[in-house]
Amino acid sequence: MRDQVVESVSATFLGVVEQLTFMFGEPASKSGVLATDDDYVVAHLDFTGDAKGWLSLAVPTGCVAEIAGNILGLEPDELDPSSLAPDSLGEVLNVICGHVIMAIAGKGADFRLGGPIISEASPEFLAAAVTSDDWLGFMLEENMVLLGLFTE
Amino acid sequence: MAFNILLVDDSVTVRAVISKALHLAGVDINLLYQAGNGQEALTILEAEWIDLVLCDISMPVMDGEALVAHMVDNGMIKSVPVVIVSSAGSEPRIVRLREMGVRDYIQKPFTPERIREVVDNVMGVGKNA
Repeated sequence: MRDQVVESVSATFLGVVEQLTFMFGEPASKSGVLATDDDYVVAHLDFTGDAKGWLSLAVPTGCVAEIAGNILGLEPDELDPSSLAPDSLGEVLNVICGHVIMAIAGKGADFRLGGPIISEASPEFLAAAVTSDDWLGFMLEENMVLLGLFTE
Repeated sequence: MAFNILLVDDSVTVRAVISKALHLAGVDINLLYQAGNGQEALTILEAEWIDLVLCDISMPVMDGEALVAHMVDNGMIKSVPVVIVSSAGSEPRIVRLREMGVRDYIQKPFTPERIREVVDNVMGVGKNA
C-alpha cells in the first residue's frame, strides 16, 4: 500500500473500531503476530463496483468474544461464542470496509460489499501476511491484529 | 404512540444493537419484528402491521435495494417508511434509494441519539406537540 493509503486506512480503521467496539489501538509492527502463541481467526470480505478488491481482519481468537461483548454491551461469558461472536467480528469488518472504501475511493464511489467469511488463520497464513505489503499491523488494547486490504 | 418496527439485517449482532439503541433512545415500541434478509421482510410486511422499516443494504437472498424495489412495485413504500441503516451507503446508492422512496439513511456505526433523531423525524414524533 502507498504511504498515503496506509495513513488513510489506518486512521479510518482505528476510528471505526474505537467507535464501534470502544477499543483503542495504534499502528504496530506486523511481526508481533509471529511472537505470540495466540490462535487467530480471520474475517474476510470481497467488494465490487468502482472499488474492487478485498478486506481482511485477523484477530486473536480470545479477542473475538471481547469485541462482540463490547458491541453488544455484554460480558464475554454471557455470549454464545459459536454464533454471536463470529457474527460480531463479521459486522465489524463490514463497517470498517464501508468506511475504508469511502476513505480511499471517495464518498461518490458506488460499491457493493459481499458477506463476511470467518475462518481460522493458520500460522502459514499469518507468516505470509506479515511479509505482504497488503497487510498492516495494529495493537488493539492488548491484542495484536492484522488488517489486509487489496484493491485492483 | 407506540410503533411496530421491522429490523432487517443479516447480522444478529446488528439487530441486537439496533434493538438496544431503540430502547436506550426511548423510542416508543409496540412490537419489534426481525428479518434476516429482504425476502423474510416481505413475508412479515404482508402479514403484519408495520409502521417503520429499518433496513441494511448488503444481505444474502434479497438485499436492501431489492426489498425497496419490491415495496415500490407493490405500493407499500408509500405507506410504510423505510430507513436504511448501513455502512455501504455510497452517495450514488443513497441518492438512488431516496429516489425510490427511502426516507432517510443512518450510517453505521450509529448512536442511540441518531436513531431517535431519524425515527422522530420520519414518524413525525413531536411535530403536533
